[in-house]
Amino acid sequence: MATVVQQLDMGAAQFLSSAFPQMVKNGTNFPAIGLAYDAAAAEAAFWMTRAVSYGSGNVTVACDWYADTATSGDVIWGCQLAAITPDADTQDVETKSLATANTVTDTHLGTTGQRLHRASITVSNLDSLANNDDVWIRIYRDAAAGGDTMTGDAVLVGVTVSYSDT
Amino acid sequence: MAELDDTSRNRVWRWFMRRNTEACNFTKTDLRAAIDACDTWIESNQASFNAALPQPFRGQATTAQKTLMFCFVAQRRAGLLKVEEDG
Repeated sequence: MATVVQQLDMGAAQFLSSAFPQMVKNGTNFPAIGLAYDAAAAEAAFWMTRAVSYGSGNVTVACDWYADTATSGDVIWGCQLAAITPDADTQDVETKSLATANTVTDTHLGTTGQRLHRASITVSNLDSLANNDDVWIRIYRDAAAGGDTMTGDAVLVGVTVSYSDT
Repeated sequence: MAELDDTSRNRVWRWFMRRNTEACNFTKTDLRAAIDACDTWIESNQASFNAALPQPFRGQATTAQKTLMFCFVAQRRAGLLKVEEDG
């Protein structure tokens, strides 16, 4: 039994025509590239990957993020999947729906405003995910929710998707 | 100059968070409460502010001009306003 890990490239993120995070490149000594999610309006980014060697169980989506200006408060990160089995599913890929979201609330740990945080979302709504499915992943900040209390942008700099191969 | 409605206060709230570059050790709820209080304070004190302005400015300046002047003075006090002469 092993854990399969996939890293999602921030530069490979795709967006719908509205409500998307701004791609930012900050940093003094190296480029900190990320997606800046607004504090007031829900924004989402998408990636497409393949569930190579997926065995069973929930998928863990770890979101590495930092606050643009805040030094306190909570951020709600959400994730939705859509899985299609090529050659088997007859679902139209352009009209496929995403499964219900799973979310996690992560609290700014203070001390340093732009410190890095890791929020892990346990994705249990898997859309009948199977080995080698093509998977679309939507990651959003639920900024309009009352529980998302952090002011300013939350900059997503890395996403890791992991799951069991058995 | 009417008090802002909920939509306008909400848009100020969004604008602040998108424009602000300084550290925020307060929540979105805290910020919104402050914006509400600020607007209420302006509503309560605009008459006394106007009365404090000397003539002929008070009688000749428009509401927009008085508002701009207030904002410029406040910005300058907070170190947020630089003009050409400042280099």
